[in-house]
Amino acid sequence: MRNAPDQLVFDPRGVVETERLARSARVRKLEGLRLAVLDNTKWNANRLLRKTVARLEQNYAFAAVNYYRKESFSKEADPALIRTIAADNDIVLTAIGD
Amino acid sequence: METETVLRVPAGTSLVEWYFEQGWTDGLPVVPPTRSQVDAAVEALGGEPDFVECKVPPRYGSLTREVLAINVVMAGCKPEYAPVVRAAMLALSVKAFNLNGVQATTHMAAPLLVVNGPIAREIGMNGGCNAFGSGNRANATIGRAVRLILLNVGGAWPGDLDKSTLGHPGKYTYCVSENEAASPWAPYHVEKGFSPEDSAVFVLAAEPPHSVTNHVANDPEGILDSIASAMTTIANNNAVSSGHCAVVIGPEHARTIAAKGWTRHDVRNYLAMHAYNLFSEISFSGRYGKIYNRNLPKWYKREPDARIPIVPSPDHIHLFVIGGEAGRFSAFIPGWGHMSSPVLRSIETAAQPKAPVCVDGTCYL
Repeated sequence: MRNAPDQLVFDPRGVVETERLARSARVRKLEGLRLAVLDNTKWNANRLLRKTVARLEQNYAFAAVNYYRKESFSKEADPALIRTIAADNDIVLTAIGD
Repeated sequence: METETVLRVPAGTSLVEWYFEQGWTDGLPVVPPTRSQVDAAVEALGGEPDFVECKVPPRYGSLTREVLAINVVMAGCKPEYAPVVRAAMLALSVKAFNLNGVQATTHMAAPLLVVNGPIAREIGMNGGCNAFGSGNRANATIGRAVRLILLNVGGAWPGDLDKSTLGHPGKYTYCVSENEAASPWAPYHVEKGFSPEDSAVFVLAAEPPHSVTNHVANDPEGILDSIASAMTTIANNNAVSSGHCAVVIGPEHARTIAAKGWTRHDVRNYLAMHAYNLFSEISFSGRYGKIYNRNLPKWYKREPDARIPIVPSPDHIHLFVIGGEAGRFSAFIPGWGHMSSPVLRSIETAAQPKAPVCVDGTCYL
């Protein structure tokens, strides 16, 4: 096979166009922060989140705990909901809860 | 012209093995594409290899015509199958289908494709004996090409972005045509406003078919009661998450039903009315605490004796006549639930249904 030409092969994946986004600053303490709890409406999400919040509240005093709900667990949250969560809270707790 | 999709490997490389090593197959050997095969498939799509047809979630890779053609060849398609694959991908890309969710869900749903119209006959699709099984190149490779695109371009690799607990065999290929010749009714796409001369593809996020056997009934009610029975388990996703489903009537059953003067409209309404569970059944009579079930429509009563329909309306049942001439069998194909809406799309162009057209007692707007 010496000097035989190379064979062509084809990449079937298609190009992914990406955009680099900055991460939010990480918090260093939970005490006194406003906690958003985002329920994705999965079967056990609400129960899991409420029990988790109860455990967290045994150790930390939050300034506020605000509950929010997505319209559908399988679809993206309404951008207006995301803006509200970002404006009114310092940290977010969410879970799948399947 | 070579693009970034073209690479080179040393002469003598086993290409079948090479594609396996890249992780670019569905687990079966692919056809290693050649330049001329890819070009022929691009030509069948109208040329312009860099034209982006859509982006495929959850990876959101760009499906150019050339990338589509590469996957079509890898699947074993003839070039003339490529427009069907494209139409299916464009249907899957409609926002209401929620392909991102279908690709990633823990449920087993896979896109089911049903093709109607002249193109199904022209490319030799099978809507007859063993339609959902093996043995027909067009059915097998069109469905496979869609799956390869969902894997390669969409990135739905099992355990990575595809989190399905079990999957199902339709994730290799899940593509049939309606048996229009054996159907006593108008074709599905005509019911929805297309003309019989149009070709169209229907996509539904679907569980596998569940067989319905009934060898004794000589009337519509008996056959449809058997189908309703298959629909009313508490385990399928329609039972607890509502949404759309497909019902496949075998030709023998269809002839018995139609002989009594029943239309597609009558069949869908009968099933919508008589396929239901009681709320006490789907809430386990409170054994695991109070269950509201947010996946069901708000207007359903959450009371023990309340009837919970399998579908919220007759229009959520998508009715097809498929199968061989002999055999008193039909099938129920559950959907994923309210999270995804099926899409029917023209194969030739972006033409929209010319609704309203009334057939078999149905006016679909």
